[in-house]
Amino acid sequence: MFAAPDVHSLAGMEATIEVSGLRKSFGRTVALDGMTFSVRPGLVTGFVGPNGAGKSTTMRVILGLNAANEGTALISGKPYHRLRHPLSHVGSLLDAAALHSSRSARGHLLWLAHSQGMSARRVDEVLELVGLTSAARRKAGGYSLGMRQRLGIAAALLGDPATVMLDEPFNGMDPEGIVWIRGFLRSLAAQGRAVLVSSHLMSELEDTADHLVAVGRGKVIADSSVADLIGAASGSRVAVRTTAPQDTMRVLAVAGATVAAIGRDTITVSGLAPDRIVTVLNEGAVPFSEVSAHRATLEEAYMELTRNAVEFRAAMPTEVAR
Amino acid sequence: MSLALHAEWTKMRTVASPLWLLLGTVAATVALGAGATSVVNCTANGCGGDTTKLSLMGVYLGQALVAILAVLIISGEYSSGMIRTTLTAVPRRATVFAAKAVTLTGVVAVAGTAAVLGSVLAGRLILPDLGDRALSLSDGPTLRAVFGTVLYLILIGLLSLGVATAVRDSATSIGVVLGLLYIVPIISQTISDPDWQRLLEKIAPMSAGLAIQVTTDLDSLPISPWAGLGVTAGWAAAALLAGGLLLRRRDA
Repeated sequence: MFAAPDVHSLAGMEATIEVSGLRKSFGRTVALDGMTFSVRPGLVTGFVGPNGAGKSTTMRVILGLNAANEGTALISGKPYHRLRHPLSHVGSLLDAAALHSSRSARGHLLWLAHSQGMSARRVDEVLELVGLTSAARRKAGGYSLGMRQRLGIAAALLGDPATVMLDEPFNGMDPEGIVWIRGFLRSLAAQGRAVLVSSHLMSELEDTADHLVAVGRGKVIADSSVADLIGAASGSRVAVRTTAPQDTMRVLAVAGATVAAIGRDTITVSGLAPDRIVTVLNEGAVPFSEVSAHRATLEEAYMELTRNAVEFRAAMPTEVAR
Repeated sequence: MSLALHAEWTKMRTVASPLWLLLGTVAATVALGAGATSVVNCTANGCGGDTTKLSLMGVYLGQALVAILAVLIISGEYSSGMIRTTLTAVPRRATVFAAKAVTLTGVVAVAGTAAVLGSVLAGRLILPDLGDRALSLSDGPTLRAVFGTVLYLILIGLLSLGVATAVRDSATSIGVVLGLLYIVPIISQTISDPDWQRLLEKIAPMSAGLAIQVTTDLDSLPISPWAGLGVTAGWAAAALLAGGLLLRRRDA
């Protein structure tokens, strides 16, 4: 799907963002409080946390837009302002609405290309890549938010960078666009690029992120691979689908299992092996349609992960309100 | 720097408003100059007064459009948030600022030259045949006035760019610049003390700078033509310095 890049040269590059001990205050508000993590090549790293957790501020510090009070943010070992032709190292999308509304998409990409010494041909390539070729000469002010996100992604890919950083790219996207971005992020990582994507909705990153950096109140709460997270959250639980959830829960509880309803017709069971569950349900004459190993969603894994994190809970608006 | 310049030039030519503002500068300058020269009473002995200054009077209006263009170059990026994209593409902020200033200087030089030459031409056509006292670029003071007026327009542009970089908001910046240009002359009219009046005219960016247009009766001027333009240059330099330092220091 991706047109220009050659994967082999990317694989050899150190495509890493390294954020270390960032602190930043805006007046009395502490935005970053010792933010530390790194982004590795070949993976989609989800950067998640509630609104106001410091995700955007971190990205701005990485790009040299905001100065941190303490700490460092390096790209391939260098601070952003030391990069020559920075867009060929890091492609970023912070705010899709940050456009001159009467400039065409092509004009917008053209000045960006010229700032890096690139030609108009590359502009046409990335327009093709994000599916905006037919709308390229229209004024960007008339674009839907989804089209602006595509334009922003085109701008991020202009320099064929080894590192891609996107702030809330799913915002304003229709379902088709969300599926498109997910596939796109996967393909960028598959080409060996380091991809950092922020989101405040876990479900958007389901099946997309390989690695998760969860933040709250300006610092990292958890930094873990998605496979480990989901494995830990799934535990040895078994999912039972049934048309009689009340009866199922009753007979399994009597047999000594711990049960929880997670959907209208689905119950998770722990403390009983699957074959034992089937026996108990048959003996109780309770109808069921499926007994399978439970696989937690990313959202459940995330809730599990942040359950004990005081910093995170304190950052949640509902907790604050109590 | 050359890449940053190329980018700024591409920005300038990929939207329509800069071109319209520059054409508007030329049109407004020539039209007001022509209007002023057409109402003057001339006799066989001449037109009385400074016909060069009169024909270049259109810059009083043209400079406002230059100021608006200069403000929008930077404040337009702040209002949309595009400044962050610009600073991501060119992280060296001094380079971005210099590229904007150079691009602005280039386009204002072209438009300003067209505007003053058009004004002089209109003056020649409108004023009656004055023989060897006709408006002519071969006349030293007239050439100085014409060339100096182009420089004046560039300096007003740079002053506006500096102010807008410091202030960031379009409306506020335009208000500050136009206030600086037009309010001081109005205030000086209300001051009865002639010494204070002369002092104000010496230090205000417009009245001092436009001394460059005067070709007759130079001794009565509060400030000499080139010194006056120097005062405007000082204002522009101060505004650029303030804007440049703030751009470097502040979070974008």
